[in-house]
Amino acid sequence: MTMQDVLAIASAVTSGATTATRIAEETLAAIDARDGGLHAFLAVDREDLLAQARAVDAKRARGETLGKLAGVPIALKDALCTRGLATTCGSKILEGWKPPYDATVVARLRAADALLPGKTNLDEFAMGSSTESSAYGLTRNPADESRAPGGSSGGSAVAVAGGMTPASLGSDTGGSIRQPAAFTGCVGLKPSYGRVSRFGLVAFASSLDQIGPFATDVRGAARVLTVIAGHDPRDATSSAESVPDFELACDRALTGLRIGVPAEYFQDGLDPEVEASVRAAIAQLEAQGCTVKPVKLPHTRHAVATYYVLATAEASSNLARFDGVRFGLRISPPAKDRAQGSALHAMYGATRDKGFGPEVKRRIMLGTFVLSAGYYDAYYLKAQKVRTLIRQDFDRAFEQVDVIACPTTPTPAFKLGEKTSDPLAMYLADVYTLPASLAGLPAVSVPCAPTKAGLPVGLQLIGRPLDEETVIRAAAGWEKVR
Amino acid sequence: MDLAQIRHIAKLAELELSEEEETRLAGEIGAIVAYVAELDAVDVSGVAPTAHVAAGAHEQLRADVRAPGLSHEDALSGAPAAAHGGFEVPTFVE
Repeated sequence: MTMQDVLAIASAVTSGATTATRIAEETLAAIDARDGGLHAFLAVDREDLLAQARAVDAKRARGETLGKLAGVPIALKDALCTRGLATTCGSKILEGWKPPYDATVVARLRAADALLPGKTNLDEFAMGSSTESSAYGLTRNPADESRAPGGSSGGSAVAVAGGMTPASLGSDTGGSIRQPAAFTGCVGLKPSYGRVSRFGLVAFASSLDQIGPFATDVRGAARVLTVIAGHDPRDATSSAESVPDFELACDRALTGLRIGVPAEYFQDGLDPEVEASVRAAIAQLEAQGCTVKPVKLPHTRHAVATYYVLATAEASSNLARFDGVRFGLRISPPAKDRAQGSALHAMYGATRDKGFGPEVKRRIMLGTFVLSAGYYDAYYLKAQKVRTLIRQDFDRAFEQVDVIACPTTPTPAFKLGEKTSDPLAMYLADVYTLPASLAGLPAVSVPCAPTKAGLPVGLQLIGRPLDEETVIRAAAGWEKVR
Repeated sequence: MDLAQIRHIAKLAELELSEEEETRLAGEIGAIVAYVAELDAVDVSGVAPTAHVAAGAHEQLRADVRAPGLSHEDALSGAPAAAHGGFEVPTFVE
């Protein structure tokens, strides 16, 4: 298959230069050829994909106008509900569960005539930074198969970076789109909090979760975002702000753009090759007519602690719904094995013990602890206040600049297994992506020069709330000159 | 963090842990809580907490109008056990 980008496929299908059926067949062939070793996909519904493609071709044959993503294959993180297609969230507790509805983003992709080949691997309940905590096996990084693809949306990043689909959807709570995009060498865009409806996204941390695209190029990500963004009455946190055509931002000149560079993102622990690559990209942007100036984000160093209090607290509450009653796994211990308490509580405990993996249990326990009597003020409320300080840092910086440029991650992709025995080391790897999540800001990771060993490096660009256009403008401008 | 504390939290979280898990989690949660304690040093006097970061006019609740939702059949479709048109659960009142 000649791997094409989102716009090339959509225009070829729309013009009749190719058919959606042919694109679907090529996608299946690419998945067959590449995914055996990479394991980006948890489920591929071949017959359904071909049926979707035939429907797009029939629509064109009838002379109807095709959508903006006509015939474009888009892989879906398996945290997104798909009607009639198993949605596991990478967990045994949801094994075999078929949602009775589509997530809003899935419905919007279908309405735009996209092709949805299947569901991609992720850390269990999106909790992780390497896709190694999936209950269904790990995913490998196509740039170096001994390395992690990042996470939690590792499968969606690899579907794109591994040449199987030109775009995919992931979700980002603390970096789960940007970090795997940086590790695998594709574009990953986390929109502002509220830009995209989360209806039908299995909730992890509701004050942070946001859905966004991966793509082979910035323009492709911009088009997917234009399709999925916008208010949804079924998600009260979705913004009522109008949605621009984000693609137009790709053509805006860089001249006059003010770029802030925070020293706090270039400190101890930053790999020298990552630093050199990101600094070279910023210098190149300056050469294109951008103004570059230092900005201060002094509370950056508290982002990891703040995030792991707030995200786990919210997760412990959100994951209470997995109790063996309405969906998924149920384990009913026989009466003789029950120490005490009712059969109902024994069923809850046994189901959750069997259904959740170690990282999910760890986070539920930590989140329950920080919310428990006597600890709420010291941990949860304190973290909420530090979150305010982190937001205010950005507010002040954006009085002087339009976009902030920094590394997406402190290192290139780490080895599989390198951090699985040390949860805290894994958490610390998220240090550069967490602040934008805590502040609800749009941010993109776009590839910059790889390391000498050929490992991808990500340039992160962070913007003001709901100003995805400036982030896209800077990223697309960089892409043209890199 | 001691085992009694771990067992108390596990009970609150409706998690039935093995002894091996309790021991491991006591160490791991203890280490993470010790790390998180760095927040103690941050001066937050006079700082309001941030509970959400929703941008734009999201606060408007939708009109309270009846509309079709999930059908009864769909709602029960994923249940591990259903009976008499409802979710079936073990006895919890003797």
